[in-house]
Amino acid sequence: MTSFYAQYGTFAVLVVVGCALYAVIMLASRIMRPTVPSPQKLTTYECGVEAVGSGWSQTNIRYYIFAFLFVIFDVEAIFLFPWAVIVSDLDATTAISPTFAIVAMFLFVLTLLEGLAYAWKKGVLKWD
Amino acid sequence: MSIDFLAIAPEIALTVTALIVLAADLALRGEAKQLVNPIAAIGTVVAIVFTVILYGSERVTFGTMFVVDDYAVVFKLLFLGTLLAILGISWRFFAEGRYFQGEYYFLLLTAFIGMLIMPSARDLLLLFVALETVSIPAFVMAGMRKRDLYSSEAALKFFLIGVLSVALMLFGMSLVYGFTGSTDLVEIAAALDGETASVPLLLGSVMLVIVGFGFKVSAVPFHFWAPDTYAGAPMPVAAMLAVASKAAGFAGLIAIAFIAFEPVADVWGPVLGILAIITMTIGNLIALQQRDLIRLLAYSSVAQAGYMLIPFGLARTGSTAVNEAAVQAVLFYLVAYAVMNIGAFGVAIAVNRRTGLRSIRDYAGLASRNTLLGLGMTVFMLSLGGAPLTVGLWAKFAILQAVAVEITLFGVILAGFLVLNSVIAFFYYLRVVKTIWMDEAREGMPALQPGFNLSVVVVILMAGTVLLGVLPGLVTDYSSVVSLLATS
Repeated sequence: MTSFYAQYGTFAVLVVVGCALYAVIMLASRIMRPTVPSPQKLTTYECGVEAVGSGWSQTNIRYYIFAFLFVIFDVEAIFLFPWAVIVSDLDATTAISPTFAIVAMFLFVLTLLEGLAYAWKKGVLKWD
Repeated sequence: MSIDFLAIAPEIALTVTALIVLAADLALRGEAKQLVNPIAAIGTVVAIVFTVILYGSERVTFGTMFVVDDYAVVFKLLFLGTLLAILGISWRFFAEGRYFQGEYYFLLLTAFIGMLIMPSARDLLLLFVALETVSIPAFVMAGMRKRDLYSSEAALKFFLIGVLSVALMLFGMSLVYGFTGSTDLVEIAAALDGETASVPLLLGSVMLVIVGFGFKVSAVPFHFWAPDTYAGAPMPVAAMLAVASKAAGFAGLIAIAFIAFEPVADVWGPVLGILAIITMTIGNLIALQQRDLIRLLAYSSVAQAGYMLIPFGLARTGSTAVNEAAVQAVLFYLVAYAVMNIGAFGVAIAVNRRTGLRSIRDYAGLASRNTLLGLGMTVFMLSLGGAPLTVGLWAKFAILQAVAVEITLFGVILAGFLVLNSVIAFFYYLRVVKTIWMDEAREGMPALQPGFNLSVVVVILMAGTVLLGVLPGLVTDYSSVVSLLATS
């Protein structure tokens, strides 16, 4: 138990040292550097262009529904691949019969298919 | 790996019903859409039949993850009965309100699938999945009235607090797994039993897991989503959250507290006991101030959660008699609470469905406007308070009985707070009753049209409240089945 806390002790020392180092460097730079502010120094230069508009920009809300549908069918694919790899090895001697495996997977796919039908009927798949 | 399909038949029945409901909603148009309600009810009845068949048998499937014993069956019957009642009080509300009917019934059934899994789950991960299956549809249902700001607020508060507490719980579960090396509840208990010195971090992680369920049952430090969510959500959803979702939380809490964490009961027992005291006192004191009936019911449900936490405060390591009595008291209280609270919400829906007003003053002279609803509300309010001749009295009596199994100072303090709080609670429950019978109805109130289904549900629940109040043995004689819990 003590060794457990000792490990966290090391971590705490690291945090303290890290903060101290940061403070020392910033303080040293503040003391040593000359301060000559001018408006030019506040503009974007070298990398990037002048910013246009505000930081808030609108994105079409429909992307979010597409993202949703994409995730659902992505997960479906994740389940399908391992199933497809082992289903050919199944026969009457294995613990799971091939019929069981196929029926189970089709139930899964059909359940997701109903979700797709629902999305379709609700007009989610149309862009206009 | 063979799966016992009969053991999961009620869940399968509800799943198939949910998919059919969604398909039917797509196929039906306009007025015909309300037919999804009877479809859902038929599916529920099928699930009830399967559950009754399972009564008396002990089945284990998916390894040892999923256990169907009489304890689980009693809980499942409670949930399915609740579902039927909620379907009954939902019909007109959703058919008239131009809500998303198909989606509502689909989400409702999905949430109840999670609830059915909850009392059978004997694994941390399955418990977590069940809890999320209850919560996620509930978040959406709370925000069902899309264009109503209050409904959106209800959903957002519920979602944010729900996600936070679930994250804490999951963190606690990961630590518990780290310490015990298992997610199986029975194996966790064995590993905790072998632990000689108590590790503070382990106890902390146990508390984190319990906190997650504390949110679900709206115990006091985690309760403040409840009033806003109940008030903003559509009323049948509020009834579902107040009763079914809370019962699911208790089912999970019982499994995790009395099976997995039983060896450290001396630690979480007093903590939950103090939570119980705070929960019922604060819930009742705030309920005194409410002018909105749904908010009053919300704070009353917080207080009721406090009563139901009392038996957890009694739990003691290694004392099977005390723990069994505690579980039975919670189970009986949940059954009683479901009967009377859904009834109260049912009457509230009948009164407020059209007007959208929920002020207690709108109930003035309810008895003269509609005797059945007035009488129903009176019975439910008296029962929630715990008056004689109603089931509420016996529910509180069951808790006192659990206290009396082994009398300790803490137990007596808990019982004292229970009695004190019952007196406080009577003040606001009786004020509603007084408004119903003694105040004059205001002019120009629209005629009440509760509808056939809602009336039937209210009559059945009213009859149940009184019948169980006169003959509590109808349930208590069978509640001894939960003794299987401690031995499993």
